Formats: sequence, C-alpha cells, structure tokens
Amino acid sequence: MDDQNLPDDETLVRRTQSGETRAFDLLWQKYSPRIYSLIYNMTSNHEDSNDLLLEVFSKAYRSINGFRGKSSFYTWIHAIAVNMTINFVKKRGRRFQLSLDDLDANVQNDKELIDLAATNTPTREVDLAELQQRLNEAMMKLSVEHRAVVTMFDVQGMPHAEIAKILRIPEATVRSRLFYAHRQLQNYLEEFRKK
Amino acid sequence: MMLDEKQLQKLIRIKRFEQPPPGYFDRALIEFHRRQREELLRRSATSIWWERFTSSLWNFRVPSYAYGAVFGIFVVAASIIGSGIWIPYKDTNRIAVISESAAQGASARIALNGNLDWSKFDHSASSPKVVPVIGPSQTALPRYVLDGRPVSYKASFSF
Repeated sequence: MDDQNLPDDETLVRRTQSGETRAFDLLWQKYSPRIYSLIYNMTSNHEDSNDLLLEVFSKAYRSINGFRGKSSFYTWIHAIAVNMTINFVKKRGRRFQLSLDDLDANVQNDKELIDLAATNTPTREVDLAELQQRLNEAMMKLSVEHRAVVTMFDVQGMPHAEIAKILRIPEATVRSRLFYAHRQLQNYLEEFRKK
Repeated sequence: MMLDEKQLQKLIRIKRFEQPPPGYFDRALIEFHRRQREELLRRSATSIWWERFTSSLWNFRVPSYAYGAVFGIFVVAASIIGSGIWIPYKDTNRIAVISESAAQGASARIALNGNLDWSKFDHSASSPKVVPVIGPSQTALPRYVLDGRPVSYKASFSF
C-alpha cells in the first residue's frame, strides 16, 4: 500500500490497540524510514541503527495501549527513538566505528550540492564519498543532543516547534543548540577544506 | 573562506542521500515480527504486565476534574465528622475512661500559670531549693532513685 493511501495515524493506533497487528505494520511502513534516518544520523552506524530501529518499534508496540493521543503518534515515536538513541550513544561512549550507508544515485542530480562540494574540496574534484565521510566525522564530534537537533532540523527538515515537542525543551533551546552545532560543524569542515 | 550558514545546510543535505540497501525495510519488518514472537515466548506474563503497567503510568495524566472531586470528598467527610453524624471512635466507654483519666492528670499537674500549688513543694532542709515533689505513680516505676526517694520518672538520657 502506498503511504498516501494509508489510513490516518489515529485510526491505525486505535486498530492496533484493539489487537490488529496488521495496523501496526502499516505504522511501521509509514514511519520506519524516518525513524531509521533519525537513528542512523545520530549513530553513523548502520548495524546499530538496525538494532535500535527494531527496539524502538518493539517498545512502541508494547506501550501503545498507554498512548492516549495527547501528542501525535509521529511526535510520540520520534521521542521514543531520540531518547533510546541518546541513551545508547552515551552507553557506547567512544567505542564506535563509522558504518555508513551508500549514497543514493540521485545525489548526482543535486547540481547545487555537487557545485558546493566541488568548491569546498581542495582539489576542486567532487569526491562525494570522502565528503560524506568527513561530514559524518564532523557530526560525530558534536554531542549527541546537538546531533539530534541537527539531524531533525537540517536532515529531516522538521520545524523548531516540532523538535521542541519531541525533546520536551523550549523552542529557544532548540535554536541555541542549532546555532552552536552549526558553529562547530563550520569549524570542523573548515579544517577539512584546509587539508 | 569559511562556509556560511546556508552553505553548511546545503552540505548537510548530502546526508539525505545516505540510504540503506534496497528492500531493507521489508526485511527489517520480517525481523521485527520474528523478535516479537521470540519475546512473547521468552518473557513471563508478569514482566509483560509490569511493562504495560509502567508505560501506562508514564502516559497517565491526572484529569482536571479529579482535583475538584478530591476536594468535594474532603468537604463531605469533614462535615460528616464535624457535625457528629458519625464518630470515628464508637467505643464511648473508652472515651469516658480516657476523659476521666485526662482530667485527673491535669489536676495533679503543677499549675504553671502563676498560681502555683505550694503544698506540692518540698521545703525540707535537705533540699533548700524549691523543688516540686514528684508524685508516685500507679503505673510507672521511678527511673532514678536517690536515698530511697524517687527523683525522676524520666529516662536517663533526658537528664
């Protein structure tokens, strides 16, 4: 079933609460790519993201009877994912390796990005794989809280208000974290440009 | 030249193109179902119930009318007890005994409001200071005895 033809979240949640497991599969279909992207961009590791994705949906499934619809399902499951990923990253500490997903072939069609990448590499040749590596390394130098904000805002395109709801922090804090994280990323990527 | 804010945001966009292998989400859903079945077999009913209970507590919000209801119950209970329609202690004989003993105790106490009962004090030579005589008690034994006379009924640590 196409995502546009799926019933709304409220209906799917109600059906899951009444014991229809197929309804939860539809919620999986709708949200797993976004949740995966969120976790992946916070961990920069595909295997960890895979494990966490399954754990997040398991937790959501077990807790769905307690979900009363005070927030949207979208906010609720994102909050579960962010909290579990933050806890995981803090436990993992510095013992990790990058395990990056391949870049989609469509990246070559993003002319603006290609031009920008070319002007910011010393050789002026586009090596997107290396740029991806550097960008991920720079992201991993951020604290996990800052990385979460950058992922939700810059990668997933969420508005500040939505991020604030998910993280249960004021909108001003989201903005300040974003400002600080961008400054840090600019510095890290500047070092790469000079190399 | 350092990347500006807009350039940085465009550069971060590269992360949108990082995608898991094709068919990954379908395979992950099959894995999710397998883990669910395994978990159901492995975990005890108590732990499943406990997790559901704690997660429902996490989502529990006190409804606004609950505060009013609690206040209402308090007012009704206070007016029932206050008006004497219902008395918490039904044993009236016990109440009478307690009241009587309390009255006796009060009369035996030294008045401290300026009208001291001097007959209760010992003015003997051995105790030149004005010291109240500690009366014998029917129920308690003296804790400290000096020259065969009870000096105090208080525990030693309160000296």
